[in-house]
Amino acid sequence: MKDWYLILRWSWRDLRKYWVKVIAIALVIGIGTGAYAGLTSTANWRRDSNEASMELLNMYDVRFELATDSSVAAGELAAAAAGIEHAAWVDDTVERLIRPTQVDASTAGETVLVPGEIVGVDIIDGGPAVNGWYTETGSGLTAADAGEPVVLLEEGFAFHNDLPKAGTITVSGGVELEYVNTAMTPEFFIVVPENTTSFAQGTYAGVFTSLETAQDLTGLEGAVNDLIVTVADDADRDVVATEIKNAITELGVGVNTIVREDDPSYRLLFEDVENDQEFFNIFALLIFVGAVMGAFNLITRLSEAQRREIGIAMAIGVSPRKIAIRPLLVGAQIALLGVVFGVAVGVLIGSLMRSVMDTLLLLPVWLTDFQWSLFFWVAVVGFIVPFLAAAYPVWRAVRVKPIEAIRTGHLAARGGGLAPLIKRFRLPGDTFAQLPFRNLLRAPRRAILTALGIAAIMAVLVGFLGAIDSFVGALDRGTTMVEGNSPDRMVVSLEGVLPVDHPGVTAIAEAESVDGTVPVLQLGARAEGDEELLLLVEVLDLDNELWQPALAAGSLDVGDNGVILAEVAADDLGVDVGDSVRVIVPVRSGENTFRFVETDLNVAGLHESPIRFNAYMDDAALTPLGAEGVANVVYANPASGFDSGDVQRELFGLDTVGSVQKATAASDDLDDLMAQFVGILQAVAFFVLLLAVLMAFNSASISFEERQREHATMFAYGVRVRKALRMAVVENLTIGIVATLIGFGGGLWMLWWVVNVTAAETMPDIGLVMELSPTTLFTVVVLGIAAVALAPLFTARRMRRMDLPGTLRVME
Amino acid sequence: MIELLNVSKRFGDGVPIVALADVDLKVEGGEFVVVLGPSGSGKTTLLNMVGALDNPTEGSIVVDGFDISKASRKELFEFRRKTVSFIFQSFNIFPGLTAAENVQFGADAAGRGDEVDPAVILDAVGLGDRLDQFPHELSGGEQQRVAIARALATGNPVMLADEPTGELDFTTGVQILELLQKQAAEGRAVLVVTHNREISRIADRVVELSSGHIISDGPPAEGKASLDELHW
Ligand SMILES: Nc1ncnc2c1ncn2[C@@H]1O[C@H](COP(=O)(O)OP(=O)(O)O)[C@@H](O)[C@H]1O
Ligand SMILES: [Mg+2]
Repeated sequence: MKDWYLILRWSWRDLRKYWVKVIAIALVIGIGTGAYAGLTSTANWRRDSNEASMELLNMYDVRFELATDSSVAAGELAAAAAGIEHAAWVDDTVERLIRPTQVDASTAGETVLVPGEIVGVDIIDGGPAVNGWYTETGSGLTAADAGEPVVLLEEGFAFHNDLPKAGTITVSGGVELEYVNTAMTPEFFIVVPENTTSFAQGTYAGVFTSLETAQDLTGLEGAVNDLIVTVADDADRDVVATEIKNAITELGVGVNTIVREDDPSYRLLFEDVENDQEFFNIFALLIFVGAVMGAFNLITRLSEAQRREIGIAMAIGVSPRKIAIRPLLVGAQIALLGVVFGVAVGVLIGSLMRSVMDTLLLLPVWLTDFQWSLFFWVAVVGFIVPFLAAAYPVWRAVRVKPIEAIRTGHLAARGGGLAPLIKRFRLPGDTFAQLPFRNLLRAPRRAILTALGIAAIMAVLVGFLGAIDSFVGALDRGTTMVEGNSPDRMVVSLEGVLPVDHPGVTAIAEAESVDGTVPVLQLGARAEGDEELLLLVEVLDLDNELWQPALAAGSLDVGDNGVILAEVAADDLGVDVGDSVRVIVPVRSGENTFRFVETDLNVAGLHESPIRFNAYMDDAALTPLGAEGVANVVYANPASGFDSGDVQRELFGLDTVGSVQKATAASDDLDDLMAQFVGILQAVAFFVLLLAVLMAFNSASISFEERQREHATMFAYGVRVRKALRMAVVENLTIGIVATLIGFGGGLWMLWWVVNVTAAETMPDIGLVMELSPTTLFTVVVLGIAAVALAPLFTARRMRRMDLPGTLRVME
Repeated sequence: MIELLNVSKRFGDGVPIVALADVDLKVEGGEFVVVLGPSGSGKTTLLNMVGALDNPTEGSIVVDGFDISKASRKELFEFRRKTVSFIFQSFNIFPGLTAAENVQFGADAAGRGDEVDPAVILDAVGLGDRLDQFPHELSGGEQQRVAIARALATGNPVMLADEPTGELDFTTGVQILELLQKQAAEGRAVLVVTHNREISRIADRVVELSSGHIISDGPPAEGKASLDELHW
């Protein structure tokens, strides 16, 4: 027992001797495991939070939406649901009246004029039992508010427009309403209005009120047009859906059934999680792998330094198991600290992620507990690696004869490696120039492991920053094209398809705040090629003064049978400029009716926007489309002296106008979104950089110890410290260059993968192109090369203070 | 060439260990001096101070006309490059460099890389055919010869060897001594430290140390022996 006690005390001295390295290596493991847990946690958080939020607000299981413009008397829908065969399966039913409206939520500082909808429900119990309204602070509506001009405003809309928590808005018909609070509700967690796929949280207003108020506002006295239902846990939902649908149809109205998973908000909320997860998992894994490789390398070298002592112990006859204790205890300390740091880093990165998630996605419930289950497995690896790394040199040492272990000393004192290969290829310069490369080639495995560890980190950095660059680049291209030569251009949506000479349309051009308009017909079409794509075709005079799509290829001279596609759309369809593409277009067959016709269009050009569904045709095509002289959108440019707010205010007064938005509104929203996203990525990038610096520093520090005697000999021969440092820098520089090259290659591959595989799958509507900004290049090169190369300078002080006689006296 | 005046060296504070006490010593160029004494008598300490690896607590040391006890850090580096060259008991040659390159290193360090042909020097120490060998491919004696060749390549007038035969067998040790003796014959001041009385028999002069004091200084007691008379 006594000998164990001695060994323990001895190990304790080891730890005291190595504490800086122990902490630094533990940090490497901590960042690797913590970043993994932090980055991969968001998917679980979001899934849990989505579920919990849906649960809290009792999201519907089935929704029955009456056909456009249909309604029935209040009570009829609920009665229909109550009268079905399996009425016992129905838990709750809520009747609603939902009607589109225009909302003016302008404040003193800013004009906010958007389309939206009024949702009215019975508020006797303070709000709907299904699809509840969640108010973060304060109260919602009470029974006393029924029939009063009092509403709740959708939280996301208010948030994105910086609206106060309470205020007034004006809706269609010029009615002023008081909103007493802002509220969240499941159907608005993510807002996806028809006809766009862009982020619309700030440009579509949900106005929640009592059924009576909604009926007053819409002039539909006593009517409802929507029913939402929750079913019992053991119910067959589809049976309930069919029975209720049939019961409603019997009322003589058309009805559309939507189950929970098909709700656009619900669907996107969960789809988005999967996409994000895929994206973060790659990076998380790489950071982890890089850190593990780095830690393994560093610990092995630390343990290797005791090789001679191992030999001596063997010579004395100590059992290998006992010999392994000391290095393993160092390993244990690193492992333990690493796991502790891992939790800390995980919580830190997690809270960063959470703070961004919080503002990106407004949910009533956020469950962001530390994900122990995710952390557990990486922590296990993070815990085992130090042991393996510490034991490996012991295992190697105990296999050789003790005398060899004693004689060879630590690895650094050995010759060999690949050095013999190059001994005949002398590098230019004196022996000082040869030494750094010889040192590397002498221990190629170690050099490669060090380089690979740093390379993995560099790869993450290139992939990470490159992904940001590519997103930002795509957004910029989109914005540039949308702006064109009229950066302030407004997009005015008309209420339906109208003749361009309709007074309500000509009034737009005549508006005081407007100078220059272009009528546009927006059509949803479907293109068939290698893939089937939905297109949003804008038919306009491509020769107009105001705005044209910027082209990457082809020409604007498209004739009556040509189309301009996004590059990514052409790619996905498998067509190029000059080819023809099969498109199913709506051809106007009545005032407001269209029938679908299959036609072959000529791909006349490719535009520069990354948005896949944007396509353009010339107004010459209006004749074959049977839509001569009509439009459903008008581009309008603010006259000089007027801003977009003026145009919105003036045009909003026209009943032919549905909404007025800046053309760049969608991309501005995306920019905001990106800015926050980039924020997280940069925070993570910071940790990655820290990882690279830590590994470089540790490596330099261990190298210094391995070479102490060589340095002492040099100093005995009068070699200046500066020169010795220079050699160490050259050695690390070589590692840094190799690591950066490998890392760059790996990073580019990762970036390629993210852009062409992950993003193409998860965000098919955005055509990303691999991009690396000079800043990214600079960061990576500076960090990969400079930080690694300069790390030995940290050892300058120790070199200068080296006890020469003492170091030289060590006998081997 | 080497002149020590009243040199003392104490280690530690409190009750200091006196490694050298009031030592006076003078060595001329061409002299082959053996410093003899039991382990712990202060031999290495003496050598380290002559080589400017360490500084005395008291007294002055002048080597080749240069007072190292008064020199700056920078001057000491310069001194080590230009005046002394070390040979260590454990060789301390660079494992990453070949024999020839290790020798070249000595020349480079002294700033005379272009004037020296390592092949010629290695040939002189009997390693003309091992130029491209790495240290781990050489025996202990061969490694020590490389170390001597490296010291020679500096062209420095003072050669300091601390137990150069300590890790070698008898025959090899004798060969190393022969080499060192030859250097003295060529005009260098050669200071060899050993605890082995047998070695001191071939010296021109033996300085005997005991507990930091010089207890004798003069030709070997039984007269200078030739190499083939040695046995241990
Ligand atoms: N760095 C040091 N710190 C404390 N004591 C030392 C140091 N170096 C040497 N000594 C002491 O000085 C004395 C002489 O040492 P040294 O010159 O190495 O002896 P030798 O080489 O003759 O065996 C010894 O008692 C030794 O313990
Ligand atoms: Mg000694």
